[in-house]
Amino acid sequence: MKFNLFRAADGTEGGGSPAGPPVIAAPPVVHSSAPMGPTKIAARDVSVFYSGKQALYDVTLDIPDKTVTALIGPSGCGKSTFLRTMNRMNDTIPGAKVTGRIEMDGEDINAKSVDPVLLRARVGMVFQKPNPFPKTIYENVAYGPRIHGLAASKSELDSVVEASLKRAGLWEEVADRLHSPGTGLSGGQQQRLVIARAIAVEPEVILMDEPCSALDPIATAKIEELIDELRERYCIVIVTHSMAQAARVSQRTAFFHMGRLVETGDTEDIFTNPRERRTLDYITGRFG
Amino acid sequence: MTWLFLPILIAAAVAAYVGGRALARRRGRSLPAGERSHSRPGQHGAYALIWTVVPALVVLMGASVFSPNIERQLTASGAPEAVQQLEPFRREAFFADARAVGAGRPAVQIWPAPYAELLPTEGQRASRIGQMLDLGAIVGAALAALLGALFVFGQIRPGMRARNRVEGWIVGLLFACSAVAVLTTVGIIASLVYDSLRFFSTVPLAEFLFGTQWSPQTAIRADQVGSTGAFGALPLFVGTFLIMLIAMAVAAPVGLFSAIYLSEYAGPIFRATVKPVLEILAGVPTVVYGFFAALTVGPAFREFFNGLGALMVGGPLDGLGQYLMLVQNQMALVAGAVMGIMLIPFVSSLSDDIINAVPQSLRDGSYAMGATKSETVKRVLLPAALPGVAGAMLLAMSRAIGETMIVTMAAGLAARLTLNPLDTVTTVTVQIVTLLTGDQEFNSPKTLSAFGLGLTLFLVTLVLNIVAQRIVQTYRQQYD
Repeated sequence: MKFNLFRAADGTEGGGSPAGPPVIAAPPVVHSSAPMGPTKIAARDVSVFYSGKQALYDVTLDIPDKTVTALIGPSGCGKSTFLRTMNRMNDTIPGAKVTGRIEMDGEDINAKSVDPVLLRARVGMVFQKPNPFPKTIYENVAYGPRIHGLAASKSELDSVVEASLKRAGLWEEVADRLHSPGTGLSGGQQQRLVIARAIAVEPEVILMDEPCSALDPIATAKIEELIDELRERYCIVIVTHSMAQAARVSQRTAFFHMGRLVETGDTEDIFTNPRERRTLDYITGRFG
Repeated sequence: MTWLFLPILIAAAVAAYVGGRALARRRGRSLPAGERSHSRPGQHGAYALIWTVVPALVVLMGASVFSPNIERQLTASGAPEAVQQLEPFRREAFFADARAVGAGRPAVQIWPAPYAELLPTEGQRASRIGQMLDLGAIVGAALAALLGALFVFGQIRPGMRARNRVEGWIVGLLFACSAVAVLTTVGIIASLVYDSLRFFSTVPLAEFLFGTQWSPQTAIRADQVGSTGAFGALPLFVGTFLIMLIAMAVAAPVGLFSAIYLSEYAGPIFRATVKPVLEILAGVPTVVYGFFAALTVGPAFREFFNGLGALMVGGPLDGLGQYLMLVQNQMALVAGAVMGIMLIPFVSSLSDDIINAVPQSLRDGSYAMGATKSETVKRVLLPAALPGVAGAMLLAMSRAIGETMIVTMAAGLAARLTLNPLDTVTTVTVQIVTLLTGDQEFNSPKTLSAFGLGLTLFLVTLVLNIVAQRIVQTYRQQYD
């Protein structure tokens, strides 16, 4: 069951803040009845420090496979920080330290034996601002396969690129200009291009950090549609500022506040029946 | 004499300001209640000051430009017949000495019979004329100031837009200052072109550009050796190019790699220390690099090659060994290598800025794909920074071509058409220096050839700089 409480007709967020507690609104969206997979990533007591300053406090969260999990919360609440622990992107920030345990398929990803470079090939990431490389569309998608040696021949690489672009819903728009620069695409197309780039290395998890915040409503709707399709194959974690988007695309929601995980549960429960007062206040727009 | 007028002018300026302000206040009082003067009293004062000072300055400047000529004509026309019949430059010398004698100093030259007697009287006459002219300039300036002040004080009334008019003058002043830089450049180019044209009227352009013989020493006597002089600048261009290539072979990789290290790998503390040090190095005077090249690197290279040659002599590479044993201090390799070292901080600092300007989101994107640092540098950062880096390299090349001191001290003077880095070569800049240092005759092709070389050099570096900018602009990626 999903609720389109916040969804305006054009796919934008519903304007101002609804005053009362959320109201259940029909009709439910069909795709939400898909089954959830087993736990893909398990975080236990994860804390993150940036140059000694704590940004995340003891987060314990299970993230199921073949599901979209939304991380919501006001700015600076630690949701992006938590997202970046799952592919160890915090390693690239000088002075960042992660404590606690994060397991992917039961394996500690912070263990010494795990090479972050290989981990990131399994856990793809899509950023807030579309960041295609200054290369052609083809080369952007071929980037990962080339680095990781995933394609033995030119024709194999061609088919990986084609399949990824198709899966990202971009193929029809760019098939005739694969060798023009990726930076020449529109914002929404660029974002789908970087999604294609991420899935070209066959990751198991895709992390999305506010992937639609720089896009217009139509491009946003396309990305959301795409996220829903990708859910069948991947474990997806999405950070979003838009509660309407969380309600639309996710099956699980985790609410962060002040660096702590406040509440987690099925999206429909969080949005209709939050257990915590702070969650209710946030989703009804009283703060944030 | 004229400078005595300056304090008076300053006093007049202050008076005009104070007076203008007071007048504006007084005339402002006549306004009906509730209405205000358009500009504030101080702005009226400033406007009065401008109209007092500027006309006086214009007159003074005009006088300083025209009065030497007028003075020359007046002194000459009133002189005795004998003096008038002298050649112009001799007449100048005569009056210079006449003024000296008139002022009680000895004459520089020995003047023959009719002139020696004329010196004291003519000197007095000449200095009188000079004094009259000075006085005339001052009186003219004072009159101009007075007229200006009268004009402006008549203008002051509450409705006058002194505020905007002062603003207009300030804009004019700022514009004039920026025009100075542009006009100076235009003037330099004009003089280069003018003198080059004189040179090319004696030496054909094709011979200059493609001739392989360079020996600009034209003989004074017709029977001297090499009396004709040869102005084929090709050996100079080749020498310049060779040294530039060697310098870039050193500076480009080392500078670029150090920039990559600094921007991508170095910790913040290392970066914060090394970057300023590099920028200081970029400011070391080139003459210091020059004697480093001439006294340290040159002998070291020579010894190395001589030693290497000694090992080869008698062996299968005997010829090469013989050659290496005769290598001298001054070679293209030394000048090029030291120039490359000079350019490293320049290339590194520029490239570092350019690589740093590549958005962090591209790095993040690449790392998130599972790329290592060096893969990210090679496949994402360098391609993204390439236009900028290419621009930096072209700027470095243009510096290498224009560099003078290092090559003067370390490359040599022999104009040889060779690409052998162990040979002594000479460059365009070195030849300009040797052509124009010391006493020169300014209408011989030898001296004028320096302008031809200068113009060529200017055009080449201009084209390089334009191409560099074009590349940077055309291929700049739009990140927003």
